Amino acid sequence: MNYDIYLVGVGGQGVLTMSNILAEAALRKAIPVNVFPIKGMAQRGGFVKAQVRLGREVTGPNIPEKGADLVVGMELSESLKAIRFIKPGKDFVLLGHLWLPTAVMLGKAPYPELDQVQEEVKAAGAHLLYLDPEEIPLHKGAPVPANIFVMGAVLGHTKLGQIFDPHEVSNIIRQRWKTGAKRNATAFQAGLEVSG
Amino acid sequence: MKTKILTGNEALAFGALRAGAKVLTGYPGTPSTGALTTLMTMPVVKDRHIEWSTNEKVAFEIAAGASWADQRALCAMKMSGLNVAYDSVISIAYSGCNGGLVIYVADDPGASAGMAEQDSRGFALMSDLPMLEPSSVAETYQLIQVAFDLSEQIGSPIFFRLVTAIANSHAMVEIEEPLPPLKREPILEKDTTKYTKAGSAISMTQHRDLIARLEKAEYIIREWGLNRLQLAQEPGGLGIIASGVAASYLEEGFEIAPQYGVKSEDLSVLRVATPNPLPSDEVRDLFQHCEALLILEELEPHIERGVYLEAHKWGYEGKIIGKLDGTFSRVGEYDVSHVVKGMGVALDIDIPEGCFQGRSEAEALAAQRPITLCAGCPHRGTFMAINQAIRKSRFNKDEVMVTGDIGCTILGMNPPFDTVWNEVAMGASIGLAQGYVHGGVETPVIATIGDSTFFHAGIPSLINAVQHQVPLTLIIMDNGWTSMTGMQANPGTSKEFQPPGNRRVDIAKIIPALNVDQFYIVDPFDLEDTTATILKCMHLPGVKVVLARQECAIQAQRRDVMPGLVHVIPENCNLCQLCIIHTGCPAIDVGEETIIINPILCYGCGLCADVCHREAIVKE
Repeated sequence: MNYDIYLVGVGGQGVLTMSNILAEAALRKAIPVNVFPIKGMAQRGGFVKAQVRLGREVTGPNIPEKGADLVVGMELSESLKAIRFIKPGKDFVLLGHLWLPTAVMLGKAPYPELDQVQEEVKAAGAHLLYLDPEEIPLHKGAPVPANIFVMGAVLGHTKLGQIFDPHEVSNIIRQRWKTGAKRNATAFQAGLEVSG
Repeated sequence: MKTKILTGNEALAFGALRAGAKVLTGYPGTPSTGALTTLMTMPVVKDRHIEWSTNEKVAFEIAAGASWADQRALCAMKMSGLNVAYDSVISIAYSGCNGGLVIYVADDPGASAGMAEQDSRGFALMSDLPMLEPSSVAETYQLIQVAFDLSEQIGSPIFFRLVTAIANSHAMVEIEEPLPPLKREPILEKDTTKYTKAGSAISMTQHRDLIARLEKAEYIIREWGLNRLQLAQEPGGLGIIASGVAASYLEEGFEIAPQYGVKSEDLSVLRVATPNPLPSDEVRDLFQHCEALLILEELEPHIERGVYLEAHKWGYEGKIIGKLDGTFSRVGEYDVSHVVKGMGVALDIDIPEGCFQGRSEAEALAAQRPITLCAGCPHRGTFMAINQAIRKSRFNKDEVMVTGDIGCTILGMNPPFDTVWNEVAMGASIGLAQGYVHGGVETPVIATIGDSTFFHAGIPSLINAVQHQVPLTLIIMDNGWTSMTGMQANPGTSKEFQPPGNRRVDIAKIIPALNVDQFYIVDPFDLEDTTATILKCMHLPGVKVVLARQECAIQAQRRDVMPGLVHVIPENCNLCQLCIIHTGCPAIDVGEETIIINPILCYGCGLCADVCHREAIVKE
């Protein structure tokens, strides 16, 4: 089964980490995988995307427009850049996180509204799963990592959960970060159980 | 043999080790950087030498010297680096080599790293050097080993090309244990007919030998079956020639094609792994077997032009679909849509327009997100100081040329600084500045450059400015690391962070030796002094050099080093946002009643406190 995932966000949100977790999950199940990350030039706060292609023995790194079985948008505005890649009828997971560029913060440039983005996703024929950043739980008073929360949500609410056992992915996360295991487990579980 | 997830760069590095490479050099540059980075993090192996060199030309000459001493050597660079190294590459192409010598060049179709979208295959054509190019990460590991063998078989350097989509992709690769460098006694061969170009007889003989080596390569490449040709059982169908990463989209295309009545068993396919030399025998086989040809290659139509020549030579009259007929663009990356669209054009099948056209309207609504400096970046202080110095001078901002250079220092072109006017190539800021002066610009001219870029190609240009007494101010922004490519050590990196056995070369000692008119060292976190120094230089005659020195904040923070603690005094803040307007620092947010400084991001440089008029931000 071929399954193509397009992840977008800004540098510092853990988009590339998510793609690496998926690569590891694929390796463990011996599913052929190609992960193509683009992180631009900035250390933090620049546009980041990763394309994860599962299933084909030989696969090109780029997903064509209207080709992704799943889009994960970690930031409201950047999610717009992924809309042309979603296959109609497939899952579009949108975390409504805002990362405002300086010009927007100063009121000199516009920023899209949530309902605008939601309408665009629907106009592309996608099935939208909106994740309210407010639903990201706290662990010992601090918010848990949003990317792990979204990973949980993706595995609990999209077809990807039929390819990878959520339990197995949660194991990968636990083995990868020994410190903060509880925090990550809280994040992942909250994502799994989020009301779609 | 074990299966691992590797990037293309890592696969290339592991393959080079498997091939017994002894000397591996390069200069960092996206997307090629990962190859040497991988090797640097591995345990040190006796007799193997790995280094980041001062620039790509130096890196290549080191690799070539090792090859002449009969060792296997690899040299890694991005496409822009090959432009720098090329002077030596072409000379050594004429001389040939002894130990396997492989030049790894990474091109960037799609320009995700923001430089020229050049196609380095053109360099292989011009220098008559073979070039190998895999179509996947897994193939990279195997083919780089073949490159070393081929290099020794024909006695010539070999190009090895990756594109970003392969160099930076992660995929499963079956790899074997790395091998130690091949045990070979170094040779010292004295042969001026091979190792010099003294006289036209020598040079023309070398030219003949060069051409003969490429012909030999073509023969061996055919023997080894590097270019894979599959002919359809029945003649008369479509032939597809796909090169490098473009070939990786074929399988996906063949999954879709039956929807449009194309049967994959009717297709003949040539997967090209050697863009130079063109596999002309296989192309001829396609001419005999196919009524139309589809050519899939990113960027320039190099293979396509070769196919046209062969078609003319052999009287082939079928259709040739590619870029030269207008079907595909020479700009950007390919994906499966090119395979399907190309088959449609070649076979006169109507592929609906919207098939690979997503909803592009959405993207127009996305906020602009210009890349900016990291929180705590010392360059922020330098750009703020340049802007303040210009404001305090008798000139307007649009009268003071500030030339820019490659690396993090180019981020001064973006808001909120809008300081830097141009970006050309490593070291070019200093030459451009001189040109503006000679061009008659009488207002102050400022050149900006980073430390690694200065070592790479800035020094000759500064020497030129001194010799010709060109009035300009050069600001060297020395953060101690080659930062934009991920913090590699360079000659100026502090002694304690130099690789073992290396010696630091201090820019502060180089500049006085060049006999410049004025030389100042400033701390870019001291905004007042940096501003005053730049302002003074703008009005002084001669060549002035300002060395703005402060370590890259990312690196310092990794060692928990911080210059101070900055916090907000809420009752003093009236949300005027001057701090954001001047610094554009990602650590500052606008809160409900005051600005908020994110303690995780803040490095404590205090530049925001310097521009606050109300003492609402305090540095301790």
